Amino acid sequence: MRHGLIQWRDENLSQAEVQTRQDHICAALRAAGLDALLLYTNHIRSGAVTWACGFTPYWSDALWLLPIDARPLFVTALSKRLGNWIAATNPTSEIAHSPRPGELIGARLAALKARRVGVVELDRLPAGLMAEITNVTDAELIDATTVFAALRMQPDASETRLTARTDAIARQAFAAMPAHRVRVGDVTEALELSARLAGAEEIYVATAPDLASDARLARIKGGVPLGERFAVRLSVAFAGTWIRRTETFTRADTPAPDIYCARAWFADVCATAVAGPGLQEHLVSKPPPEGLRLDDWLLEAPCATRPLQIVAEHGMDPVMAHANATISVRLTGPCGPVILARPLIGPEGAG
Amino acid sequence: MGWSKMSLPWRVESEMMVFASHKVASVRLHRLTQAMADTGLDHLVLFGNAWQNDYLRYAADFGILEGEGIALVGRDGSVTLYLDDRMEAERAGVECPDLCVKAVRDLVAEVGKALARIGNHKVAMAPRRHMPAGLAMVGSELGCGDATAVLDRLLMLKADEELEAIRRAAHLADAGYDVFCRAAVAGRADYELVAQTESFFRSAGVDDNFMLIGVGGPEVRGMTPPVGRVLAPGDMVTTELTPCVDGYYVQICRTLVVGDPSPVQQDAFDLFHRAMVAGIDAVAPGVTAADIARAENAVFRAAGLGDYVTSEYTRVRGHGLGLFPDTKPHILEDVETCIEAGMVLIVHPNTYHPAAGYIVLGDSMIVGPNAAEVLTTTPRRLFRGGTAEASS
Repeated sequence: MRHGLIQWRDENLSQAEVQTRQDHICAALRAAGLDALLLYTNHIRSGAVTWACGFTPYWSDALWLLPIDARPLFVTALSKRLGNWIAATNPTSEIAHSPRPGELIGARLAALKARRVGVVELDRLPAGLMAEITNVTDAELIDATTVFAALRMQPDASETRLTARTDAIARQAFAAMPAHRVRVGDVTEALELSARLAGAEEIYVATAPDLASDARLARIKGGVPLGERFAVRLSVAFAGTWIRRTETFTRADTPAPDIYCARAWFADVCATAVAGPGLQEHLVSKPPPEGLRLDDWLLEAPCATRPLQIVAEHGMDPVMAHANATISVRLTGPCGPVILARPLIGPEGAG
Repeated sequence: MGWSKMSLPWRVESEMMVFASHKVASVRLHRLTQAMADTGLDHLVLFGNAWQNDYLRYAADFGILEGEGIALVGRDGSVTLYLDDRMEAERAGVECPDLCVKAVRDLVAEVGKALARIGNHKVAMAPRRHMPAGLAMVGSELGCGDATAVLDRLLMLKADEELEAIRRAAHLADAGYDVFCRAAVAGRADYELVAQTESFFRSAGVDDNFMLIGVGGPEVRGMTPPVGRVLAPGDMVTTELTPCVDGYYVQICRTLVVGDPSPVQQDAFDLFHRAMVAGIDAVAPGVTAADIARAENAVFRAAGLGDYVTSEYTRVRGHGLGLFPDTKPHILEDVETCIEAGMVLIVHPNTYHPAAGYIVLGDSMIVGPNAAEVLTTTPRRLFRGGTAEASS
């Protein structure tokens, strides 16, 4: 579930900004000959609904319907007692509650006489919800993932602002790590506390506690000891916006020239990279300094229902440009692996 | 001594826990394949994500966080875990080293291909409601059945090894409430209490935690994620903590008042205490979930507060626990599920009180051969949070 702070604040995202996004969706729907857009959400696949109306569920699932000429409808299985909280954090939508959300959506589509309804990731819609909808409406459900992705890939000032804010929470959390760290728990405890006190909506921590033996990142128990060199991936959500930041450390915080060298190279890559076609070539044209070898990379961005989704990786260039992407790299240096990840928000965010 | 500095050396502790966790997973898989044999199933297709992970985890023992996964289970005990996220697949490789893990870009297409290869066998899916529609369609075309009820029964009635795992997790619910209670000081925001609790849980090896909070007085109708409300003297602070250790959730619900409780708050709490005890006393093999709910609700009705046990003010009067924090059976007056030994429940008469606001009180328990074995040991009292003056 999402455990952290979930609140509507205009300084994070204003109703006017949300309304602009909804206007863009409606224009795209008209151009595609669609009468409405249907988005699914739960706390894992929150990305599309969060972008479209600002709401993130902490639990359960829901459907959000935007007809081209009517107010959006948000239908959730969460009980009516939570109605005030949902309305306070989802102010642009009409809120309805039902143990069978699909039926209410189907009924609304029928009432609107909608004929062609776009659904993002149609084949991933839960089968139960799909059945509820199709039992009460004859509207044709059409996959609209590409239509939606084209909107999501546009740079959005408010989202970029939130990405920078979220990244600041992550950087602050890493800075709060104790210099003397012996166990994985020494690190995860400090990261959790710092990020959540800073208002994070959620955080996930993955650790490779001893890079000399295994460079894979996983959820490791707090009692496991840290090796001489370890890596930590911190995934942070703030106001519905996710970023990842991965860092490689030495246990005693002693100087490690290859790590510093890799960080400096990666900062330059992030400052100059474009999260779109040509990224692979960009990485080839900017090889790491001598002694370091780039083994792997991947690019994540929000483009459908997941807040971060892999859109390109080593050997596969991005098909199109993405906004608010995160890039991760794995290098091998003279003293072992170096794993790093940063959101691509310009030189400031790449620090 | 904090839980982050447990008395066992880390290596002994970790290896014992890993061994116990693997043993429980192995017992579950054996029970599952036995159930498949009993029902004539050759293969199972189990869906999971971080919200609804119990079906997948029953077979694959992986705590998925991001994206979605499908476990394809053979009656011979083979399990292939398909994950639509490369990073999650890497994590699964570390956390479940014996599992066959496949990272796929298109979950529906890849599992659909696997289904087509076994299409002439008897295959069933669970949970059918949450299965991706594209895959459910492939399953329908291939004549796949619905195994949701088979899994639901396994999830409700735990093996002895699962009950041991739940007992191991229970003390962390108590320890977590202690941390929460000490963090509840006037002037702090609700999310700061969550931060302290989550930080403690991570350090103590708790993988996940379902947690809600409510702060205020009679205007508070339920619990939500933290919204930034700052604790003030006189506020009631409610929470339900549900730490998850090696996949198993144990829950505790308690209420505290910042400073001294008013007589109204104390009287209201006493009513909830009587209702909770009545509910726990009703737990025994052979009764129904409805019987437990009626025992709790009778206390409210006798006090003239019968309106507040309806769905207008409360969701459930308790529920099952296990690999999901809110599993069957739901404790409600219209749920006739028979309670059996080996179930794990929480009894919580949580609801709105018109004079005091929303109050919670609940303990987790194993249904024993004759009565409930209550797992959580935190005193059943109205706790007191510190005022700013007292804390300074």
